[in-house]
Amino acid sequence: MFRQQLHLGTHHKRARAKKSNIGRRVKPAPNVFTFLKGDLQVAVSGLKREQRKFIFILLTPAIATILIFTSVPALTTLSYAFFKWEGFQREGLAGFANFQRLFEYPYKDQFFMALRHNTLVFIAIMILQTSLGLLIAYALFRLKRGQRFFRTVTFLPVIFSLVVVGYMWQVMLDPYYGPVNMIINNLGFESLAKPWLGSMSTALPTLVFINLWRWVGFPAIIFLAGLNAINQEYLEAARIDGATEGQLFRKIMFPLLAPSMTIITILTFIGAYEWFDLPFVLGGSNGNPAGATDTLALMFYRLSFGSVDSNANDVGVGSALGVIIFVIVGLGAAIGQHFLRKREVEQ
Amino acid sequence: MVLLPVFFLFNSALRETNSFASNPFSLARDPHWENFQQVWSDGAFATYLKNSLIVTGGSLVVIITFALGAGFVLGRYNFKGNAVIFGFILTGMLIPAKLAILPLFIQLKWMNLLDSHIGLILVYASGALPAAVFIMSGFFRSLPSDLDNAARIDGASEFQLLTRVLVPLVRPGMAIVAIYSAIPIWNDFFLPLVFLQSPENKTIMQGLTVFFGQYASQWGVLFAGLTMAALPLIILYLILSEQFIKGLTAGAVKG
Amino acid sequence: MKIASRRLRGLVAAAVAVSAIAVPAITALPASANTELTFWSWRTEDKAFYDSQIEKFEAKNPGIKVKFTPYLNTEYNAIVSTALTAGKGPDIIQMRPYGGMANLSDAGNFMPLTTKDVPALAKLQPGILAGAQGYKDKKQYGYPYAVSAMGIFYNPEILQTAGVKALPTNWDQLMNAFKKVKAKGFLPLGNAGGNGPALEQLHATVGPTFYGGTQFFNDVVAGKKTFTDKAYVASLKAVKDLAAYMPAGFEGIDYNTARGLFANEKAAFYIGGNYELGYFRSLNPSLQAGWIPSVAKTTGAAKYVSTWADGAYAINANTANKAASIKFLNFLASKDFGQALVDEIAFIPTAPFVKITDPVVKAINKGRSSLGTPFLNVVGFRFENPTSSVILQPGFQKLITGAITPEQLAKDVQTAVASWYAPQKGKS
Repeated sequence: MFRQQLHLGTHHKRARAKKSNIGRRVKPAPNVFTFLKGDLQVAVSGLKREQRKFIFILLTPAIATILIFTSVPALTTLSYAFFKWEGFQREGLAGFANFQRLFEYPYKDQFFMALRHNTLVFIAIMILQTSLGLLIAYALFRLKRGQRFFRTVTFLPVIFSLVVVGYMWQVMLDPYYGPVNMIINNLGFESLAKPWLGSMSTALPTLVFINLWRWVGFPAIIFLAGLNAINQEYLEAARIDGATEGQLFRKIMFPLLAPSMTIITILTFIGAYEWFDLPFVLGGSNGNPAGATDTLALMFYRLSFGSVDSNANDVGVGSALGVIIFVIVGLGAAIGQHFLRKREVEQ
Repeated sequence: MVLLPVFFLFNSALRETNSFASNPFSLARDPHWENFQQVWSDGAFATYLKNSLIVTGGSLVVIITFALGAGFVLGRYNFKGNAVIFGFILTGMLIPAKLAILPLFIQLKWMNLLDSHIGLILVYASGALPAAVFIMSGFFRSLPSDLDNAARIDGASEFQLLTRVLVPLVRPGMAIVAIYSAIPIWNDFFLPLVFLQSPENKTIMQGLTVFFGQYASQWGVLFAGLTMAALPLIILYLILSEQFIKGLTAGAVKG
Repeated sequence: MKIASRRLRGLVAAAVAVSAIAVPAITALPASANTELTFWSWRTEDKAFYDSQIEKFEAKNPGIKVKFTPYLNTEYNAIVSTALTAGKGPDIIQMRPYGGMANLSDAGNFMPLTTKDVPALAKLQPGILAGAQGYKDKKQYGYPYAVSAMGIFYNPEILQTAGVKALPTNWDQLMNAFKKVKAKGFLPLGNAGGNGPALEQLHATVGPTFYGGTQFFNDVVAGKKTFTDKAYVASLKAVKDLAAYMPAGFEGIDYNTARGLFANEKAAFYIGGNYELGYFRSLNPSLQAGWIPSVAKTTGAAKYVSTWADGAYAINANTANKAASIKFLNFLASKDFGQALVDEIAFIPTAPFVKITDPVVKAINKGRSSLGTPFLNVVGFRFENPTSSVILQPGFQKLITGAITPEQLAKDVQTAVASWYAPQKGKS
């Protein structure tokens, strides 16, 4: 049976085997972009039935799982937006009524405030987290000793659960007993010792800060890997030519980090507009204090499950909101990918 | 900057609750290990830990198995629709479980999988598979094609090719997938909140929130709870830090 | 074929592995002849109490076991809703008062209770029974187990040190007491602004004397008056005035910390519900707190104690253990349980003929029965979205920081209520 299978391709393969791989450049580890350009190594033409069945068996579990538990529910959520709902019971079709209601009292104000928050958060995180990450990555890159240690440390907060991070910081930022304010007071800056999580003006920025603490290791590591992957020869050559470190960074490293930048930007965008865990743990589903930390995802949760005192939920409007969130994220990711890919430079 | 809060966490776990009122920063002179003891017994921690292990472990089994298969096929075979399927899988990465939570809830109820670990495992697996398949396919692709040829010439079936030859070679990929998927699954509290109702089934992060309500003012015990919840992953991380970092950069870096 | 079977075997192996881990976890049912009831609540503070009471019940009722599981207050509603919808709810459910679980009772999740099943219901007054009835139908879905009452707790030692000779009876005297306490370096008020519901409770305590108590309540319910009425605005302003005496950084001080300030004797007063007493004492057993009803706005004006049926016990309509659940509910409605409620966690039970020996709880009960007025938001306006609470809770937070004026807040409340409450529709 095996011999028959091989027979067709034997000549082919023997010939290729001869060409062998001495000196042959192993293709680079692919990413999304190279793949989608159709950059495949192995091209097996004329698949046999056996192989096809095999492929099918191997492929199905993964695809089925994703279909059943991700794709179908997602599409269903989108469809829910077009029905009327009584609690968790679905009634008749409602056309665009849910979308209309989303933009009327009382949801309109909540929606726009949440949208504003998400956008502010995206901009803030994009600027702060990414630059900080880049900075740290660069510092680590230049560090001769102890790179592994610092790298490990930098990345540590990322593996903490947001529940743990949230509660930990909530205690630390307690205006009365918390160490943060105590330190500020001891240093003499009493006026700066604010109720960080409780004041409407500082709550959101504080959350961004906590998010920063927890996530900055991620872009840092990715940028670091990117820096490490740059062909040292280029850098050496440039140095010999007399370039300063600053020029090295601007002209060579930064452009070559473009793919990493793309991924980070897109992930940050998605994360910012779907931000839920941290505000939920620290501010509850209402965006305590007084909605200052409300996000689109929190609003979705409230609409789907009700809030503490009144329990009344509105699945229809919630699903409509879900559609909108999905559109925002999808569009953002698609546009981002398109524009940012252009920036990438072939090495 | 990073370490200080972490140190604070551990230190606080060991202190007696009342000492916090005076000075939050003082070193634990007299380590109060009984804080941990209390968390273990009162917080039903053993149960939650077991559940978290079951859910995370089960999810990893499913994820790795399925991703191996799909990654192998997508990475080494060129056939019509390969790119399409791959694209489909990747768009799965865009969809957060939260948005689809209601239909998922109804779906699981219909399948009678609510309040069960299996249901949760399947949902987690579905969320983690896109990235996992992506990573595994990358690994499979990077293996030289000569291996295939050599094996086939030796008379191996496709299946044997996969299991005997290739799988051992992509073990680093499997490790990466495992770690990359395990972190969000272990840390998640939202899906268990919605899908697990019986107290016996709850996971650690879910249990933490209940625990917090009960012990809201006993900071020593609280911190002990937080520490214990975070510990398993931390230990894993410290041992395998290299793989962690590699895992996240796989696919994100060109060249 | 060989391939398929091999692969299949691999899959089967994986499935077995997964189920070997998962199945025991799911099917780990106690193999006893006992009936096991599950009982959920949001009162994490009371776990020890319920556990000890359950022991008593189990001793008298061999064959029935009860498991009490409290959840975080903020997640309780979501958890109960999803569980009930999934058909996996608990047997006994602690119900939120009045409209708090209206949509759940309307959907038929709770078993209607009759006086045949629960004779104790017959002894309760209609106002109290209303706390656990359906919104659309007026069936009795729960047994309201306690009444709550708002008032002012004080620490007599601090007041003595500060030279406050007599307990305040009107607003000005209260302000003076605050000033004296502050001058001595203590915190006048433990209350803080980090928690919306706590502020709402603050208003419920000091507000009625400004807005006109029960008469105003009746007028608003009937549509004769609106929330933009000057008297109501004045009650909102009173909350703002109190902010000056809250601890520094009050915006961010959360509920637990605020209560802790009073319990740990750093603050002289705490304005809130009687249910806090048990919590204070658990934090600081040596605390000697006193209680006075909220002060009148001026001497001679009426004093009021906001009160309402706070929480009820309900039975899941789909419970598999109907008889056992009813038995347990009757236990919860019994005089002994009521006595334990007051003795151990300082609640005021609805069960009649309960003896109150604690002087503080006695004072609260007296205040409630002689000066009681309905807690406006909870009793009247929690049935549909947006409830008055949902506007007021964040609204108060904005009010005390000056981000919004009392007039504006009043207007917002009116808009919210008018959007769904028929007698108020179209009024502003």
